[in-house]
Amino acid sequence: MRLPQFFGKKRGHRRTGSHLWGSFGEGLFYACLVAAGIVFGGLLLSGMVRYAPADGQPVPLPWAYAWCVWLLTMLIPGALLAFGGSGLTRVVRAWGKSEERRAASERMPEMLDAMGHAVGEAPGHPGVPTCDDLVNSPGTILRYRLPIESPESWTLFGFGLFAGLWNAVVVVLAVGAGFELVSGRTDWLLLALLVTFLAVGIGGIVVFVRALVLATAVGPTQIEICDHPLLPGEQYDVLLAQGGSGVFRSLELFLEVEELATFRQGTDTRTERTIVYREPVREWRDVQPVPGARFETHATIMIPPAAMHSFASEHNAIKWRIVVRGSPERWPVFVRVFPVVVFPAPAAISPVASARPFATVAGEVGS
Amino acid sequence: MSGSVAGNGVVKVAPRVAMQFDQADRVYEPRRELGIRYHVEGIEPEVVRAIERSMLWYTEGKGEEDLGVHFFERIEDAAKLAQASPTGSFMVALPSSPLSYEGVVVKVRWCVRVRLFFGGGRDFVSEHVFDLGSVPPARGPLGRLE
Repeated sequence: MRLPQFFGKKRGHRRTGSHLWGSFGEGLFYACLVAAGIVFGGLLLSGMVRYAPADGQPVPLPWAYAWCVWLLTMLIPGALLAFGGSGLTRVVRAWGKSEERRAASERMPEMLDAMGHAVGEAPGHPGVPTCDDLVNSPGTILRYRLPIESPESWTLFGFGLFAGLWNAVVVVLAVGAGFELVSGRTDWLLLALLVTFLAVGIGGIVVFVRALVLATAVGPTQIEICDHPLLPGEQYDVLLAQGGSGVFRSLELFLEVEELATFRQGTDTRTERTIVYREPVREWRDVQPVPGARFETHATIMIPPAAMHSFASEHNAIKWRIVVRGSPERWPVFVRVFPVVVFPAPAAISPVASARPFATVAGEVGS
Repeated sequence: MSGSVAGNGVVKVAPRVAMQFDQADRVYEPRRELGIRYHVEGIEPEVVRAIERSMLWYTEGKGEEDLGVHFFERIEDAAKLAQASPTGSFMVALPSSPLSYEGVVVKVRWCVRVRLFFGGGRDFVSEHVFDLGSVPPARGPLGRLE
């Protein structure tokens, strides 16, 4: 066995370092954590670590405090044991196994599962997400009402949470400053801090209210579809319903495909989203919903016959979606997204063919 | 994947795995059968401790690599090993998905791998890509709607 090299090289997808030494180092790290947890926990439990107050006899640490505090001190060795033990188990289980074997053995519990497919995966279609969450809401006119994918809601929630928490801090500071003033003292530093915090708090409220008004003023958008999941080469009737009382300069309907790739950059985990397909379906101009009713219209979308199906794995995804872009007369342009799931074309799914003779073309050799 | 030469002093040259698909263009329809015949060259068959034959898909692109094994077989038994090395063949019924895909930040590739294990923990893997389905490549990145 070769000795480990301190520096390795990355050659394409491969690294020059030894996997065995890498796994050994990883295992050693987790073993050290376990050992530290045992030693630390043992010292605490055995009473070898003593607390010596200035005015009393030294007592073993466990008896120096209330049981809940003592339990709290056991958190660190407990965490060391749990983290190190789970890591060590993972390293031992993967030791000497190829990545295919590891992946196959990870798949085993799914194979033993009565459903025979992974959670979140469409039955009979590996790598294709299920559409259960998209077909549990019946439509008013067509069969299904599609849920809206709204990152704006989370943004709104974030703004609201920030404004709430920040202003709670402002209230605490204000109460403290008020008591100071009532008692006849003036803490200028506290007052300066309060004014700064108050300005940020008011700013947070303004941003939240503005986002809330923008999210609610336009009126809800709904998409209903005649069938789901979608299949390549098929056409589907779609109902677009737009609420609100104002005039829309335009309402546009698009069919899009978005790729998502999640990767680690340093200690951050990032997701890159890229639109790789967009088909304008239809556009409506000068739309004015009747007061008390919503604007309703139909359109037909078609999934291209050779289209890629929806795909989802741990770090990568291909998502199909129906997108509505509206241009209200008095408000900024809005974009609302409705995810759909496209399955592989059934025409391509034919019974298993009989074996053919081997072609004479030799495969290339990789390493 | 480890280097190509086993380090226990038995294997002196890099192995080579020649692989033949039963379809010359290596483009397969979902749920068809795929037949593989391979031949390991450059090593003595007796130095091989085990062989793993697998068919899997993996992702390429900007994201972390994901991998799904559709077929996996590990051969350690000496009698079976003699049948699987230096020449062997196997057939696998392909699944319906995921189809091979050439996207912008996400790519899905299918491949057959033959991995040879030698003494001293060394191994050698040979990977041969094929296409499942005929999905055209993605057009390219488009701007977001605003």
